[in-house]
Amino acid sequence: MNLQTQNSNIAVMDADSHLEARNIHVWFKERHVLSDVSLHFPTNSVTALIGPSGCGKSTFIRTLNRMHELIPGAGLAGSIYLDNEDIYAPGVDPVSIRLRVGMVFQKPNPFPTMTIKGNVLAGLRLNNRRIRDEDSLVESCLNRASIWNEVKDRLDAPAGSLSGGQQQRLCIARSLAMSPEVLLMDEPCSALDPGSTRRIEETIRELSADMTIVIVTHNMQQAQRVSDQTAFFLAEEGQPGHVVEFGPTDNLFSSPNDPRTEDYVNGRFG
Amino acid sequence: MLGSIIFSIISWGLKAVSPHFIYQNNVYITPTTSLEYGGAGHALIGSLLVVGLATLIAVPLGLAVAVYLTETRGRFKGPVRFLAQSMSGLPSIVAGLFVYALFIATGTVNLAGWLGSLALALLMLPTVVRMSEEVLKLVPGDLRSAALALGAPQRRTFFQVIMPTAKAGLITAILLGVARVVGETAPLLLTTRLMSETSVNPFYGDLATLPTFIFSNLTAGFDTGRARAWAAAFLLLAVVGLIFGATRALTSQKVK
Repeated sequence: MNLQTQNSNIAVMDADSHLEARNIHVWFKERHVLSDVSLHFPTNSVTALIGPSGCGKSTFIRTLNRMHELIPGAGLAGSIYLDNEDIYAPGVDPVSIRLRVGMVFQKPNPFPTMTIKGNVLAGLRLNNRRIRDEDSLVESCLNRASIWNEVKDRLDAPAGSLSGGQQQRLCIARSLAMSPEVLLMDEPCSALDPGSTRRIEETIRELSADMTIVIVTHNMQQAQRVSDQTAFFLAEEGQPGHVVEFGPTDNLFSSPNDPRTEDYVNGRFG
Repeated sequence: MLGSIIFSIISWGLKAVSPHFIYQNNVYITPTTSLEYGGAGHALIGSLLVVGLATLIAVPLGLAVAVYLTETRGRFKGPVRFLAQSMSGLPSIVAGLFVYALFIATGTVNLAGWLGSLALALLMLPTVVRMSEEVLKLVPGDLRSAALALGAPQRRTFFQVIMPTAKAGLITAILLGVARVVGETAPLLLTTRLMSETSVNPFYGDLATLPTFIFSNLTAGFDTGRARAWAAAFLLLAVVGLIFGATRALTSQKVK
């Protein structure tokens, strides 16, 4: 892996990047909310996006799987390359991108009218895909999401009967069933108790062996625990959000280059 | 007051209601014939046919409009919503008059059951649209996000995720629309009139329905006629009660 510490927003192409954002600007109607974001995500790495509320981290992550454009009034400039192909090129079907780049949301959202098994298979059914052995796919996804042992005897129970932490792991299993290359996680643990949070963090580390993960988090200890590299976002008064610093997690937390990063990771604001 | 209305209908209606009342029709029966003969069977079937056809017209259209209002980014949503709200105040006789003027007065077609269905559909539509829209809006946005994030196309997201979640509410919307029109008399007087035989063809000729049966029997003025009218009213009330009961039963099953 060839990581480079960045203290400016000049994009540096990295040959090992699975996913790369170049000069991304985002608007909501007239409001400029993200300015010139360039980040690269090496294959099978875990990248944490940290920063105070409202600085555009969740907005940015939604540009990576083309969910951003579903919001009325959304505008975007710049390019996102997945395996060196621009996902915003004309003629690219956003649905095809979302099949390769999965997403787990802040609030667990299993489908309430479906069973646990139905939820895991929901992605396949929604895309009209048939596979030969549904049961072993369900078992393998629930295993990788670290929830198999808790639900193996009640796969036909409604998804709503699970606890919050279990529901979130079910949502992870549901995303895994689509075999995504990249998994985006938007504050996946912020609605959960510490025990569930720990389970999910362990799961993230295991999953990164097979896919690239980008995780938005408010929890700096979590960022240090799970990620290989971290990007620090900031939106100053009246300014759009931008990346202040981006580099290997250990460096960013122990010896940050920018004083604003240092203030943030030491809890002086945010 | 509600209690006294229901009590009146039940007590007067029970005098004339009997098993044969429900299935026999009124051929060869005059208003003075004794209550042992004849019945409202033809009217019951007619009501079911006319209301059934109205439902078949209004429900798909109403659901489609509700989906347009909640799921798409159309430019005419404001005017369409306003139209649906205004139509809910449409007097039933005006609906009947509209259909009459459009089809019968212009000589295009004669009296028929399906014209009554058209008028009833006009009356049902606003209820179905407004209630369905509310129900669809209640489906949490994050379910839609979850489905789209899994790569689901928008149409399949709607049919496999949003509709099942909203199913109980949509059924209620439909049944309430039906209950709204099952007793409407005015539009049927103008478009369907009344006959004494049992007709199962809503597309040609007169058709008897419960409300018009009640009306004609009452206006004929004889005691036996009036008794028949009460009995038919009882029957109508029973039908409405069944609809509401079905709504409760179907929707309570969904909630676990």
